[in-house]
Amino acid sequence: MKDKKTRNKKQKSFFFEDYDELETIGKNINLAKISLNRVTFLFFVFVSIIVIFSIKIIYLSTLDTKKIYSENNTKNFIKERRDIIDTNGTILARNIDIYDAGLRPQLIENKKKILINLKIIFPEINIKQVEKKINKNKFFYIKRRLTEDEYTKLWLLGDKAIEFPKRQYRIYPQKNLFSHILGQTDDKNIGISGIEKFFDDDLKVKINKNLPLELTLDSNLQYLIREELINAKTDFRNIGSAAILMRVDNGEVLSLVSLPDYDLNKRISINDDNFTNKITLGVYELGSVFKTFTLAAGIENNIINSNTVFKNLKEKITCDKYIISEHDKLPKNLSAEQILIRSSNIGAVRIAQKLGVEKYKKFLNSLELFETINFDLGEIGTPLSFKWGKCKLATASYGHGIVTTPLQLAKAYAILGNGGYKIEPFLLKNKKKIKNNREQILSNETSNKINEMLRKTVSLEEGTANFANIKGYEIGGKTGTALKYNSKAKLNTFVSLFPASNPKFVLLVMLDEPKPAPNFIYEFPPSDKFPNGYKYKGERRNTSGWNTVVVAGKIIEKIGPILAIKDLQASKNF
Amino acid sequence: MTIDPNKWIKTLPNNNLNDKSNENNADHEKWISTIPKKNNIKFKKYYFSLTIIIIGLVSVSAIKNKTRNLQKEISSLHASIDILKKDLHKSTLEHEFITSPENITLLAKEYLELELTTYRAEQIKHLENKNLELIISEPVKKDEKKKLSESIKSQVAKKIKKKKNELAKLKKLYKNPETIPGEVKAEVAKKIEAKKIELKELYNSPKETITVDKFQKWGVIQLVKVFLGIPVVPGK
Repeated sequence: MKDKKTRNKKQKSFFFEDYDELETIGKNINLAKISLNRVTFLFFVFVSIIVIFSIKIIYLSTLDTKKIYSENNTKNFIKERRDIIDTNGTILARNIDIYDAGLRPQLIENKKKILINLKIIFPEINIKQVEKKINKNKFFYIKRRLTEDEYTKLWLLGDKAIEFPKRQYRIYPQKNLFSHILGQTDDKNIGISGIEKFFDDDLKVKINKNLPLELTLDSNLQYLIREELINAKTDFRNIGSAAILMRVDNGEVLSLVSLPDYDLNKRISINDDNFTNKITLGVYELGSVFKTFTLAAGIENNIINSNTVFKNLKEKITCDKYIISEHDKLPKNLSAEQILIRSSNIGAVRIAQKLGVEKYKKFLNSLELFETINFDLGEIGTPLSFKWGKCKLATASYGHGIVTTPLQLAKAYAILGNGGYKIEPFLLKNKKKIKNNREQILSNETSNKINEMLRKTVSLEEGTANFANIKGYEIGGKTGTALKYNSKAKLNTFVSLFPASNPKFVLLVMLDEPKPAPNFIYEFPPSDKFPNGYKYKGERRNTSGWNTVVVAGKIIEKIGPILAIKDLQASKNF
Repeated sequence: MTIDPNKWIKTLPNNNLNDKSNENNADHEKWISTIPKKNNIKFKKYYFSLTIIIIGLVSVSAIKNKTRNLQKEISSLHASIDILKKDLHKSTLEHEFITSPENITLLAKEYLELELTTYRAEQIKHLENKNLELIISEPVKKDEKKKLSESIKSQVAKKIKKKKNELAKLKKLYKNPETIPGEVKAEVAKKIEAKKIELKELYNSPKETITVDKFQKWGVIQLVKVFLGIPVVPGK
């Protein structure tokens, strides 16, 4: 009611309706409404188009330009695996496009012509077999991995029956040089061994495909070491050899060679055990190199010092079935230092007996010699476990009856040389850096004493490693000669630390079954008796001092300038 | 009772009485205002926005065309860059293969003729001043070279002495021809005789001595002389 009243009040006037005019006005209003609707419709259509376009523009602007122009471009090359480079940036592995040649028999127009052409291009091809395959009327490959020349020749035939499936192939420009480290990939570019397998996920990662995987290895050092090992084969007729060069302060592996090796580009399957990675996978009894640990354990536990004299050392002792004797005639009374320098087996046994099983076992365990090492390769050997006892202690003191990998031995020597700090060997650059709070296994004093003794083993005339006394490099080291299991063949090792006053590198050289080299001319370094040194020929012994030491000396002489050892005391005497 | 008309009229509302004159006059302004007006401003707005849209669309398509052309150009450039990258990718790999230590050693062995001297570490002098270049002490081989040069010198000196002695002897002989032995004299006489006979033959029958071969040789020599600018007749 109120509403009606208010409405009446608001109504100020009235009008007369002209029905004729109203009709036209109504019509106009309707027309205007229709046109307005049309315009709004068009407006919305245009607006929606603009919105769609703007969305597309925004989407495109947010996309990575490289993606738009690269991935859609068929000519562009997208690596399936990242490159592998060494510490100098030298390419060790890279993927490239290669072509295979396939034949689709259904599309052949002139069978005779195609067979003749194939015989001309591939003279080694068996045409009868190709003909048989053609008759089966199924697609088959004529040749995989075509060369540029072969591809061009086949392509120029212009035969539609010949197809060129493209795929990526891993190339190793250094061929044999890193065969045991890099490993291989299969046809689908999946790592099947070595670094290729261990870092398969990292190598296949889609992000940062152009960023190579950098290793700590150095191609030049690797080549020089490999060359010396190859030369050693002609001199000492060994069946295999291996070497590892590592930084003692952080465990960075600079070179790792194992011979025999193979050309990675040939993709051959090898079943011969001799082709295993001797440094990481091979588990060996390494002999007298263990005496250094016996000495170190004795000094660390304050059981002995360098000058502790062991009197009345017997020439031969027995422990159950084991007969322990000296390799050479040695003085009856020897100081602890002399035991290492002269490599006395009986002396080492006496030190170990003084030390006791538990302490010795604890020391060796702290060096992680009998555990499976954590390394950047899948091919890792596991040392065999054994039971400790009195006789085991005696034999273990001079490195017999206990086995480990050369990699673990090098690691243990690095720990002895670097002041007793624990390290982990590694191959991937920038993976591990020196930590501030490193675990210290043995004291600096013990480390220094051991370094001094190792230096004397090389520098003193009575030492077993004279041939490695290369002037200027202050080499220290220990020899190891062991008999292979169930064989009279020897496995000789020499582990060196240099410069001995402040070791920076550890080099382990191993020769598998070296033979005596009576025709080899040994060059003795200068001594008091012979200030200019002297040459010697006709040696019949094949212990470590007569072969691995020589090889290690030659290696250090060659790689020394590359390693650029500065601040050497010895170098100042030039 | 008479009715006062004024009184009665007064009771009526005033408005109606005052507007009697305008009673029948309709207010046209009011009337017009009741008629719904055409919304011209709204229509203008729509036309304006429509023209903007159309202009916008036209310009967008024009810009899009241009950008598409640019895009084509960019993508073709990208494609060529990709090809170059691919070539570079292969070339660096080839370079790595060619410059691998193994290959360099092989090539050096095959092609380098330089005899490289190996210096032992002890041959290199240690420098206190690190800014200076390394001074290489005399290699061991230098002593050997010295020895070699000395021996060569002594040999040459011996030869010179020998030659001098021979010359002195010849001088003596020429000074005293009587001392020349008879055998030597006879040999020289024989040679002189032979030469005389030759010259006589040439004088008597020059046709036989001048053969076609000799003539051809002479001709060729003269031609070469002419070609090189050497006078054909000696002395001119």
